Amino acid sequence: MSGRRDKKTAAVFVLAAVLPIILLLLSLNIGAYRIPPKAVLSTIVGAIFPGGGEAGPSPYADILFRIRLPRLLLALFAGAALAVSGASLQALFKNPLVFEFSLGISYGAAFGAALSVVFLGRKVPPQAAAFVFAIVAVLAVLLIAGKSVSQIVSVLLSGVIVSAFFQALLSLVEFFANPYALQSLIFWLMGSLGQATWSDLAVTLPIIGVGVTVLILLRWRLNVLSLGDDEARALGVDVRREKVVVIVLAALTTAAATAVTGVISWVGLIVPHLVRMAVGADNRKVIPLSAAYGASLLLVADDIARGAASFEIPIGILTSVVGIPFFIVLLKKSGKIWL
Amino acid sequence: MKVRVANLTFSYGEFTLRVAGLTFAEARVTAIVGPNGAGKSTFLKCLASVLPLSRGAVFVDGQDLAGLSGKNRARLVGYVPQEPAFTFNYSVLDFVLTGRAASIPVFSSPARHDIEAAREALRFVGLADFEGRPFFELSSGERRLVLVARTLAQQPEILLLDEPTTFLDPRHEMEIMELVRRLAVEMKKTVVVTLHALDMAVKYANEMVFMKGGNVVASGPPGDVLSERLLKSVYDIDIGILTVAGRRLIVR
Repeated sequence: MSGRRDKKTAAVFVLAAVLPIILLLLSLNIGAYRIPPKAVLSTIVGAIFPGGGEAGPSPYADILFRIRLPRLLLALFAGAALAVSGASLQALFKNPLVFEFSLGISYGAAFGAALSVVFLGRKVPPQAAAFVFAIVAVLAVLLIAGKSVSQIVSVLLSGVIVSAFFQALLSLVEFFANPYALQSLIFWLMGSLGQATWSDLAVTLPIIGVGVTVLILLRWRLNVLSLGDDEARALGVDVRREKVVVIVLAALTTAAATAVTGVISWVGLIVPHLVRMAVGADNRKVIPLSAAYGASLLLVADDIARGAASFEIPIGILTSVVGIPFFIVLLKKSGKIWL
Repeated sequence: MKVRVANLTFSYGEFTLRVAGLTFAEARVTAIVGPNGAGKSTFLKCLASVLPLSRGAVFVDGQDLAGLSGKNRARLVGYVPQEPAFTFNYSVLDFVLTGRAASIPVFSSPARHDIEAAREALRFVGLADFEGRPFFELSSGERRLVLVARTLAQQPEILLLDEPTTFLDPRHEMEIMELVRRLAVEMKKTVVVTLHALDMAVKYANEMVFMKGGNVVASGPPGDVLSERLLKSVYDIDIGILTVAGRRLIVR
């Protein structure tokens, strides 16, 4: 029994290591402009080994490396960010139903980014504004929950309130935005990876990279923190400090992703649960696997978003349409999974 | 190691816990007894530094626990909660491994010797074959043993157990108490345990502490302190003590 389980876990890990790379190579072939797969491959080889591929720079290099690659990298990083911060917050609040949305992070970030785009003319980078308001939202949730912060109901309730508040502020920004800004704001809110430029990514990818890496390093610590404040403290953990670190990292990575992609829901909930179903609850496995599968999921979602129809489907709508039915099934089965 | 409590006060709302002075000796089992709401568990949590003291101090071999980092404190004092606050279905080994938190740097995961310590702890409580089992599949008796094992993996000198026998059937109740005694006798730990079962306290404890309304009303070896009058004043009901063949039996 345990041998079979180990084999399954090993398979899940191997797949996690190769899936994002394979999907990345496949996704380079998808797009409005058709490029033959062979040309894609030779362009990549040519870029990695100059002079080794076909003679001269490939005519497709511009499309592949300036338009498609940043978008695909954003999908990978944003997916990893959302899934890892979701998984970490679930462990931290010892509740499998918590994710970025329940702490107000997503809408706090969305409001911050909108504020920057509409009113500040990007003078304050949207990523920075998104992060500031993501942190404001989390702090508000923690303050409202107050001393009962270990009681999950009060945290969730505070999260709902704060999310609603920032949604209202977001509407206010929409109300005052000029028609052109409004249009781009609404498309951005529905979630889209199409805006990705290298200059945005130069800020976003390092933030996500660092945040996700540190959370992965904290993976075993999350097992200890998931026991609750009292037990973790008795085990010698500086609970307050480590909790703050995890929350800040989760807010940071989510905000960095949201500032470029817009609001993409449910990835932080779906992916960690799929991973737990496959390999169990140990965060030493759940956190790194969530990174890999979150990245893969968002990449596939984006492929569908830009490849399935003649127009681009907003990816936030796509993840919700798939995510909510999944969540309902999860709730129905919940007794079996974690109680 | 010797634990000394000096002028400990803890207040929460209307309730105030006051322990003027008390010592717990090495290689002995001390049972804290008293009615519900007497402050037994609160006292234990104060000893474990899970709750912050309002005033006073807890000394371990003369060292004030409040002056220690969480890490160093956890190497001295281990706390076994009554029921684990549980959300995720970890395996028994993963759960026991969390007891190693104080010895593992923040950004690291358990190493081979941590896993060995966890297995050793599981062997001591008799659950060597359970390491791969999901925690939620265990009976409540087995869960209590796993909780004790986790605290053993922590390798503290002082073990504080909060009502380890509540909700257990007589056999598992005795198994846990035998284990508690072994912790003191074989491992030379300082063991403090809160109990409702007076008969278990009388049978297994070297010392008893009687609490009521947040205060210690009596303490000492069961043979010295135990009397029908004390029990009446602590529990407000008549509890008889019969001596049969040299053993004291609690009769209600």
